[in-house]
Amino acid sequence: MTRHNVSPYATVMDDSQLTGRPIVLAGAGPYGGDLEIDEPLVTGGKKWTDVDRDICMHAEQFPTKKWWIAFSVALTGLGVLVFALITLFYSGMGILGVNHPVGWGSFIINFVFWIGIGHAGTLISAVLFLFRQQWRTGINRAAEAMTLFAVACAGIFPVIHLGRPWFAYWLVPYPNARGPLWVNFNSPLAWDIFAISTYGLVSLVFWYIGLLPDLATMRDRATHPWRKAIYNAMSFGWNGSSRAWRHYESAYMVLAALATPLVFSVHTIVSFDFATSVMPGWHTTIFPPYFVIGAIFSGFAMVITLMTFMRGYFGMKNYITLNHMESMAKILMLTGMLVGFAYSTEFFMAWYSGSEWEGFVFKNRAFGPYGWAYAIMFTCNAIIPQVFWFKSMRRNTLVLFIVSILVNVGMWFERYVIVVTSLHRDFLPSSWGMYALTAWDYAFLIGSFGLFFTLFLLFVRFLPVVAISEVKGVMDPKVARSIPPRASAAPQEA
Amino acid sequence: MSERLTTASFEAPAGVDNARSRAMVVGAIGLIATIAGAFGSSTQFFQSYLVAFVYWTGVALGCLGLLMVQHLSGGAWGLMIRRILEASAKTIPLMFVLFLPIAFAGLPALYEWARPDVVAGDAMLQRKAPYLNATGFIARGIGYFAIWSLMTYLLTKWSQDQDGRPGAPYDKRFGKVSGPGLVVFGLTCTFAAVDWVMSLAPHWFSTIFGFLFIGGAGLAALALVITTMAQLSKTSPMSGVFEQKHFHDLGKLMFAFVMLYAYFSFSQFLIIWSANLPEELPWYLTRLTGPWKVIALLLVFGHFVLPFSLLLSADVKQNTKTVVPIALLLMVMRAVDLYWQMAPQYHHGAFHFHWMDVTAFVGVGGLWVAAYLHFLKGRPLLPVNDPYLREALASHGSH
Amino acid sequence: MQASTPSTPIYGVMAEFRSADALLEAGGRAYREGYRVLDAFSPIPIHGMAEAIGQADKKVQRAVLAGGLAGMAGGFGLCTWTSTTEGIGGIMSGYALNVGGRPLLSWPAFIVPTFETTILFAAITAVVSMIAFNGLPLPYHPVFNVERFRDHASQDGFFLCIEAADPKFDAEGTRAFLQGLGAREVNDVAH
Repeated sequence: MTRHNVSPYATVMDDSQLTGRPIVLAGAGPYGGDLEIDEPLVTGGKKWTDVDRDICMHAEQFPTKKWWIAFSVALTGLGVLVFALITLFYSGMGILGVNHPVGWGSFIINFVFWIGIGHAGTLISAVLFLFRQQWRTGINRAAEAMTLFAVACAGIFPVIHLGRPWFAYWLVPYPNARGPLWVNFNSPLAWDIFAISTYGLVSLVFWYIGLLPDLATMRDRATHPWRKAIYNAMSFGWNGSSRAWRHYESAYMVLAALATPLVFSVHTIVSFDFATSVMPGWHTTIFPPYFVIGAIFSGFAMVITLMTFMRGYFGMKNYITLNHMESMAKILMLTGMLVGFAYSTEFFMAWYSGSEWEGFVFKNRAFGPYGWAYAIMFTCNAIIPQVFWFKSMRRNTLVLFIVSILVNVGMWFERYVIVVTSLHRDFLPSSWGMYALTAWDYAFLIGSFGLFFTLFLLFVRFLPVVAISEVKGVMDPKVARSIPPRASAAPQEA
Repeated sequence: MSERLTTASFEAPAGVDNARSRAMVVGAIGLIATIAGAFGSSTQFFQSYLVAFVYWTGVALGCLGLLMVQHLSGGAWGLMIRRILEASAKTIPLMFVLFLPIAFAGLPALYEWARPDVVAGDAMLQRKAPYLNATGFIARGIGYFAIWSLMTYLLTKWSQDQDGRPGAPYDKRFGKVSGPGLVVFGLTCTFAAVDWVMSLAPHWFSTIFGFLFIGGAGLAALALVITTMAQLSKTSPMSGVFEQKHFHDLGKLMFAFVMLYAYFSFSQFLIIWSANLPEELPWYLTRLTGPWKVIALLLVFGHFVLPFSLLLSADVKQNTKTVVPIALLLMVMRAVDLYWQMAPQYHHGAFHFHWMDVTAFVGVGGLWVAAYLHFLKGRPLLPVNDPYLREALASHGSH
Repeated sequence: MQASTPSTPIYGVMAEFRSADALLEAGGRAYREGYRVLDAFSPIPIHGMAEAIGQADKKVQRAVLAGGLAGMAGGFGLCTWTSTTEGIGGIMSGYALNVGGRPLLSWPAFIVPTFETTILFAAITAVVSMIAFNGLPLPYHPVFNVERFRDHASQDGFFLCIEAADPKFDAEGTRAFLQGLGAREVNDVAH
């Protein structure tokens, strides 16, 4: 089918020229009407070779001063985590705020928080891939990396929450030394082991498979023989043959199809930790979808935060355009509304259930001693994202950045509200209590961010941060591929 | 593709008219038989009628929800089926008419909370009376239908306007109504599910119930869309338009809904099973005893295992010969599922099957299908002036 | 460089094309011409390329199905065996334990780990089978002996290579054939 001789994309040269609205070609429609095509996903009139250079550049040169500043801040945070861990192992759980009756404290909150952050990466890679949303190509690599690092952060917390982390391997199903005693397969905590380890492994292979062709590109660009050899080994000697692509695409498709139900299952199982109990405020059937939506919500907020850095500090504006940011803002708004919808349904159902305990827990959540946390949660998650009803707000990077951070503050407090308010006042008023974070709780929270950003900055330094082979596939060939024909006859090599 | 086609190029084939007449006859026979039965037992009439009403309203609602989703998400799959979704959503006012007998005559026969003698002896129902009472039920019902009808009216009217204006730019109002519309849709459907279905067991509650209702409605709607597409693709003008890739896309969507619905149902079951609480468990105990258990197993197999296993294959999704039987199976299973959720409540758990359960379903269904086909016939089968149509017709999958 | 002794003087003949469409077209024509031992190389996957040169297969999908079923059986089997049996003769022993009054065979709870093992096994199979069917890791491949290929194949070049192992291969004729397809340049590929 012949289309237009000149690509309308050629006119959009810069991120700032994007409008977020389609380009209208009058009278070019199928039956005489207008044809509307979406704006290009990559701006700047980039050619394929420019893509290689722009993306590989950060791994091929010595890091910039900005990178060093960011990395030293992140490394300091990681130092805090290491110091806190050493102190915890030396002194024991007493340094933390957990007590009776609030036996699940900031470690569980952080665990759920980080697992949730990870979800957007898989969602972008897998679900948006299955739905053929091509804008995912600009952000999927970094989002998948984010997933891996978030899972790494999350994985620490349940292990140290055990109190005796050196026995963590007892959670793994194997017949242990005390006779044929196995884990309890009825327990959601055992399900967590299956879910988190499967999720971590599948995310890792999914991410690595996506990297193979790009590692080959880095190999072919490398000039130093050692670099070439290392990237060749890492790319498994990828040569881009059609047979290889064929199997690669099959595997990628299958992994996407598997990762989609997997990502739902992971936060569902995390929600089962709460929902299969009999605690008022925890035992409610809406928890699985409500946790999954909350996870997607917070994950997308984190992607927006990271992409703001990538655009600003690593010069990725032509690949992660304002249109990408706007698409993510829309998802943030939609999931924010769904989260607000779940908050309201919970309140209605708590009343409708007719159960005294349910009713009390929800009154206590909103108006009890932790009402302030509930207010932060509700404001940040259900109200603030509503600014994205306005297109100008969705395309304002400063607003996006601030809202994305506030959303994650709100989502951290959502887990705080769930964990703390249900436990601190349960069935028996004589066993009520209060919970307060200690300095060490904060140290672990800050430290986990240190670990996360350290890993992310190392990723930015050494690997292609945008999926090169995928971005090339969504560029208009008329703009991206204009190799001048070679006049001389082909030389023969013997 | 330079030739200029008009709305006339996509007029529905004559077969639609014939099918509509047949549906009308079948529906009339079913309804007459059911109404005749009502003279025997008006209670049984309402009990059978409610299941049929909820089912067919759900199909129309599922289509309304998908219509808004496709206005927001864009993509070829939505454009190809937009007219089918619109025709189905337009039946919502008809379902409002069918709602009136339930609202004004059927409540005491159906719901415990509407029987003053039962409420007088039940503290829990007295506590819930501010929500579960006849006036509230009717007022809310009218409200739901008003909201759904308004959304349908706006979306279909603008779509019709588009047919009359070749070359008009994309109408942004679609998105502006669909965004907030989906939120309102979710809320109203949740409360409708609580009112119509969940309150049959007035002591029981489950917060995921709204999701279950919406998921089931979406699944039935997709099954209807695929079946309709397959029929239309047999003759001109749609024979050259609906291609394998479109069936593949919609098959994938139906597959996703099969999994989503199973996920919601299993989550609800596992959470209630694990906690083992006396106020929640009886709902499942009733439905997992005697003949109800057989139906539950049938649902596990026919609503999930079988369609899931078959739809794993891309070839099955693309071929109308294989995907249509699966869609029909799912439509039947949706009905069985609703029956399994609702009917055990009528006779305190005892298994009780009545011939009116079938005739009411066929009667309301025949009427609904006739109305649906009538609306389908009334408009060109593709939105020919939509600025994205060209891309939709030419789109190649990237994988 | 290579330890094995080649039976043909060269590995094959390689042509470079200007675009994905040109490569797709050329590959299809070469296949229709009767060439069977050939491969196309591109920096991005090309829709329909494998089909055009007769490489389409569903090996990965089949392997994944088998892997998933094995994971499902393994996961459910592990839960069931460890929770319901007292073991068989001291080896492979389970530990039937009453947990909260639930039945020993608590299948609703077992579905959760079973689901995870199914996904895990299927995903690992997908990756392993992809790597195996592609013959990776592949430390050496003759196509990299062509300079244009080294510099462009993973960045912006589209190449078609007809191997000397093809029964229809004839160095002169094949070279001319590829030139005739509108190649940008044609090179011999050393072993």
